[in-house]
Amino acid sequence: MSKSFRFWGLVPAWALMILTLIIPILIVAGVSVAERGAYGGFTWSFDLSSYQQILYSVGWTDELEFDPKYVAIIGRTLLFAGGATLISLLLALPVAYYISQQSARLKIILLYLVTLPFWVSMIVRVYAWLIILGNDGLLERVYRMFGGADISGFLFTPGAMITGMVYSYIPLMILPVYASVEKIDPALIEASHDLYGGRWTALKRVILPLAAPGLTAGSILVFVPCLGTVLEPMLLGGGKQLMMGTLIQTQFGGARNWPFGAAIAMVLLVLVVLVLLLNARRARSQMEAAL
Amino acid sequence: MKKLLLATTLILPLAGAASAEGTLNIYAWADSISPDLIAKFTEETGIEVNVDSFSSNEDALTKLQAGSSGYDLVTPSQHFVKIMADEGLLEDIDAADMAAYAQLDERWKGQWWDPENDYSIPLAYGTAGFSVNRDTYDGPVDSWSVLFEPTDLAGSIALLSYPDEVVSAAQLYLGIEYCTEDKAEMKKVYDLLAAQKPAVVAYTSDNIENRLGSGEVSAHFWWDGNTLRLRNSGANVEYAAPKEGLVGWLDSFVVPAGAANVDNAKAFIDFMSTVENATEQYNYYAHSAPVEIDESKALYTPENAPELFPTVPVVFAQACSPAAQDLVTKVWTDLLQ
Repeated sequence: MSKSFRFWGLVPAWALMILTLIIPILIVAGVSVAERGAYGGFTWSFDLSSYQQILYSVGWTDELEFDPKYVAIIGRTLLFAGGATLISLLLALPVAYYISQQSARLKIILLYLVTLPFWVSMIVRVYAWLIILGNDGLLERVYRMFGGADISGFLFTPGAMITGMVYSYIPLMILPVYASVEKIDPALIEASHDLYGGRWTALKRVILPLAAPGLTAGSILVFVPCLGTVLEPMLLGGGKQLMMGTLIQTQFGGARNWPFGAAIAMVLLVLVVLVLLLNARRARSQMEAAL
Repeated sequence: MKKLLLATTLILPLAGAASAEGTLNIYAWADSISPDLIAKFTEETGIEVNVDSFSSNEDALTKLQAGSSGYDLVTPSQHFVKIMADEGLLEDIDAADMAAYAQLDERWKGQWWDPENDYSIPLAYGTAGFSVNRDTYDGPVDSWSVLFEPTDLAGSIALLSYPDEVVSAAQLYLGIEYCTEDKAEMKKVYDLLAAQKPAVVAYTSDNIENRLGSGEVSAHFWWDGNTLRLRNSGANVEYAAPKEGLVGWLDSFVVPAGAANVDNAKAFIDFMSTVENATEQYNYYAHSAPVEIDESKALYTPENAPELFPTVPVVFAQACSPAAQDLVTKVWTDLLQ
């Protein structure tokens, strides 16, 4: 009974995984080695030129040359996603810690408020930042109210883009960090003070190590969607520099080069899997160390 | 309770089937079809209309290429009508036999994008150029040089997020043919846009009304009728008349191959093309009408809507060969790398 249930009970989960995850990824992988159609679309074949195009392309002089532009786009995406993750982490830790110190009732209310933005469409939330960061927007007015000089140009900068990314995904950081911070026994912090550890030592040697699982989980949850984000670079960054998300979108749209778009998507996928693998490996070695 | 549930489950598919007979799914440029006319159509025919919107021809093309889009009526521009027809993505609706065709101005019949008039009935036409906010910029707007080699406008310019119209305009300015396959010529286009880039605030196709109307940017790459509508809403904006010419476009109704409600789509096209309705659509959309309208009821005239009656040359965008399109893409990705 239990053995057959273990098999048949998992069938729905497997069917779901295969239908909605494995098969679509295989299709993308297939398209990435297909031959591009003249006006978009593709025909099945085996052609690695899309992957070659990531590194080499035909320049203005008609010669195939090493072309770092796509590598630069990938690098920029990693950098901005990493930056947004780091900022989310720095902001989320005190917030999560604060929430964990409140009464049970207040905790529920605060956690509810953290998840509240998810009930609103992402596009609307990003548009809200246009009003905040725009010319004569909220930020500029407040700045002027406090006697700041006449300034403009918050919008359409990398800073605006990262602000939007942090804002969009920080709940995904706060929740797991809260989950691990909440479990910290206050006695441990007291103990560190009894042993003449100051606040900084308590944070560094007690709170951070105990919050590490939450911080890692949160970082992955923020970093991964930031890698593929499209809205923030277009609406807040002003579309002046391509990111991987916008590059993929361009390939399927204006450039009419689906295989290349699929190839870039595969690179994005490999990057995500690498991050997850590295994390899994670290978690395992930590577990072994703990034993 | 159980009986009720059972009954609902049995009826649901029937309800779906019944409404499928009376629906029409339209995929059109954002805010391009008068909601009043859609309501009127539903009232007259009982056909339920759903409208989704796109903001670039490329989006519409990609959607159709992906297959089974679920749409019965799409409104791409002329060069994309040609590409879609060549790619076998369109249903042959014998447009020349339709009532709407008789309403059509002669100049739009038998054109290169649909030489046999099989696939398309035009809906609106106009130009792409650029507009300036007259509160923040009082210089000349008689040449593309104001935009592409800016002095006064530097740091206050926004273009579109797609290369289609922008590259065509740069080609007009440089005197280069659309869709050229000559690398040296396209390198000039790239050099022009790359030199302009530091003066450009954003490459974006969203929210243009606000950005230009509020003076957030002083100049924006844009369309004629949209500028007219913004001006009529009280903003102090002007549509430029560059002597090198404007990029022309003509949007047409087409039916995707294999659409479920072809007859409803054709009924809607005919409905939109009657003199009365076409006039109402013209007054709503504020882009020129390619079909006959009632001049006495038309809101826009050369006097009050100079945007729609350009005095400079208008050169219609073409369907580029893949090689030429690759060069356009190269210009754009190199520009935004």
